[in-house]
Amino acid sequence: MSAKLQKRIVTILFNLIVGFGGLLMATPLVWMLSASLKPTSEIYRFPPTLIPEQFTLASYERLFSDWPFAAWYVNSLVVAVVTTLAVLFFSSLAGFGFAKYRFKGNRVLFMIVLASTMIPFQLILVPLFIVMSRLSWTNSYYALIIPFMAPAVSIFLMRQFISSIPSELMESARIDGATEFGIYWRIIVPLARPAFAALAILTFLGSWNSFLWPLSVLRQQTAMTLPVGMASMLGGVTAGSEAPIGASMAGATLITIPVIIVFIAVQKHYIAGLTAASIKG
Amino acid sequence: MSVSQPASQAESVQAPVQPSDGRLSTGAGGARFAPYMFISPFFIIFFLFFLFPTAFALVLGFFNWRGLGQPEFFELRNYERLMRDPIFFQAVQNTVFYTGFSLFIIMPLALLEAMALNAKILWFKTLWRILYFAPIVTSTVAVAIVFRMLYNREFGLINEFLMSIGLTPVDWLGDPNAVKFAVMGLVVWRWTGLLAVYFLAGLQSIPDTLYEAASIDGANGIQRFFYITIPSLRPVILFVSVIVMIGALQIFDDPQVLFGSGSPGGPANAGLSIVQYLYSRGIGDLLYGYASAVGLLLFIGIFVLSLVQFRLLRGFED
Repeated sequence: MSAKLQKRIVTILFNLIVGFGGLLMATPLVWMLSASLKPTSEIYRFPPTLIPEQFTLASYERLFSDWPFAAWYVNSLVVAVVTTLAVLFFSSLAGFGFAKYRFKGNRVLFMIVLASTMIPFQLILVPLFIVMSRLSWTNSYYALIIPFMAPAVSIFLMRQFISSIPSELMESARIDGATEFGIYWRIIVPLARPAFAALAILTFLGSWNSFLWPLSVLRQQTAMTLPVGMASMLGGVTAGSEAPIGASMAGATLITIPVIIVFIAVQKHYIAGLTAASIKG
Repeated sequence: MSVSQPASQAESVQAPVQPSDGRLSTGAGGARFAPYMFISPFFIIFFLFFLFPTAFALVLGFFNWRGLGQPEFFELRNYERLMRDPIFFQAVQNTVFYTGFSLFIIMPLALLEAMALNAKILWFKTLWRILYFAPIVTSTVAVAIVFRMLYNREFGLINEFLMSIGLTPVDWLGDPNAVKFAVMGLVVWRWTGLLAVYFLAGLQSIPDTLYEAASIDGANGIQRFFYITIPSLRPVILFVSVIVMIGALQIFDDPQVLFGSGSPGGPANAGLSIVQYLYSRGIGDLLYGYASAVGLLLFIGIFVLSLVQFRLLRGFED
């Protein structure tokens, strides 16, 4: 066998293996989407049909009529959007303060922030839950948003990025009579756009997919976010209380597919942001 | 303990200030107080909802308190009980299994995946990257619900497939010997892509000239892997392994949804994780002190691993 032919065969085999793995990874999501568009009897068929033979939106209708799915969607969206905006504002402001000013306590305070990234959320789960109960914030947006508006990692990320913005820009703005907040708003914010984009995606996804905390503070069905609501569809101890498989798949589709579409659109930036956040934060 | 306490601490941050370091000042103290104004919104929230609960958790671990009435000082009894608690012991064992599996199976798999996605001979790179990396952004709850169906004993896709090739079906979510693997199956799907992203970044920073030089010296693929790839990736491998350990110690969503709220630990608690146990004791049974003790033990484990991570990150910056 010639070396060239051998190389060709290796290339083809290699691509087949990677392709097979890729299809395997896609299977759960493809199955989910497909199952959400079929009648129940067709879902259980083996081998499964990829394109539904009997195309139907009944599962989606059921999802919206039998569960407050629309309310869950609104809750999740509001919480994720508000949390993201607040995180962007507070952490860029604080990151700016830490990066561009020398003040008493700068180092110590920043070290506290840095050290706190070692504390796992589970440690404060119970005390934070008690605080929320005392404030009567359970079942409300407050509990889902306010404690998460200032994550330490975000400050770290913003400080790193803002440090790389030249201080001369600030000084010339000061000569032109800009206030300190004006410098933040007119110089730092526009120049820090890449950091804002990366942080926004990470924060939004973290909030959108968050489960442990919302599960802890949400009991009322209409107050639930998507993941908590979806989990409640699985039912409790009694058999038969579980939602029909089609409705569950329709719900799972509506949570994941929009996010994946956005992911495909911004794939390169997202991956870059992820590596930057991890290596630095 | 009142909630307002940390707030006063936050205010005391605005104490006497040194003038900023020779930079132009806006006159009436603008630049002096500005940094405190900038960092205080963050610090108020940080104190109220992070540092205060952290201190609260440390104290709670020494009390017996169910939210009503006076907390009873319990000395170390919460911890003593934990040491004799068979369910906690089971949860620790399961979590150690999850951690080991993640380190020794999922991490190498992710490295292989990254190498494959980085290979020059791969066609349609972007397509495969999208397929392999898409799980990173998906909701664990949604995907766990899908996997719950795929794992179904009677008509799940996995058992149908096993039967079609003549194997016996497995009761993935009902057999105590199988449930940990069911959880790990989902975690493999969720994590390999994420870890591969880090490995891929590491691989791309290895200069091609290293490989070329090795090839000229007659090194084959396996030698190049062990003498160039692995040593060059060492910091990334260490970093990823810490992320994996911390992540595995915090596993909650996957088993919680796979097994459902009826028996969230799976049959005989064979899939119960430490965080699930913390949740069921603290939020379910309102055993605040006991759950906080679990939290503290988890924190110590994670703290030690995070210290390692900091050491490694320092190595990165050099």
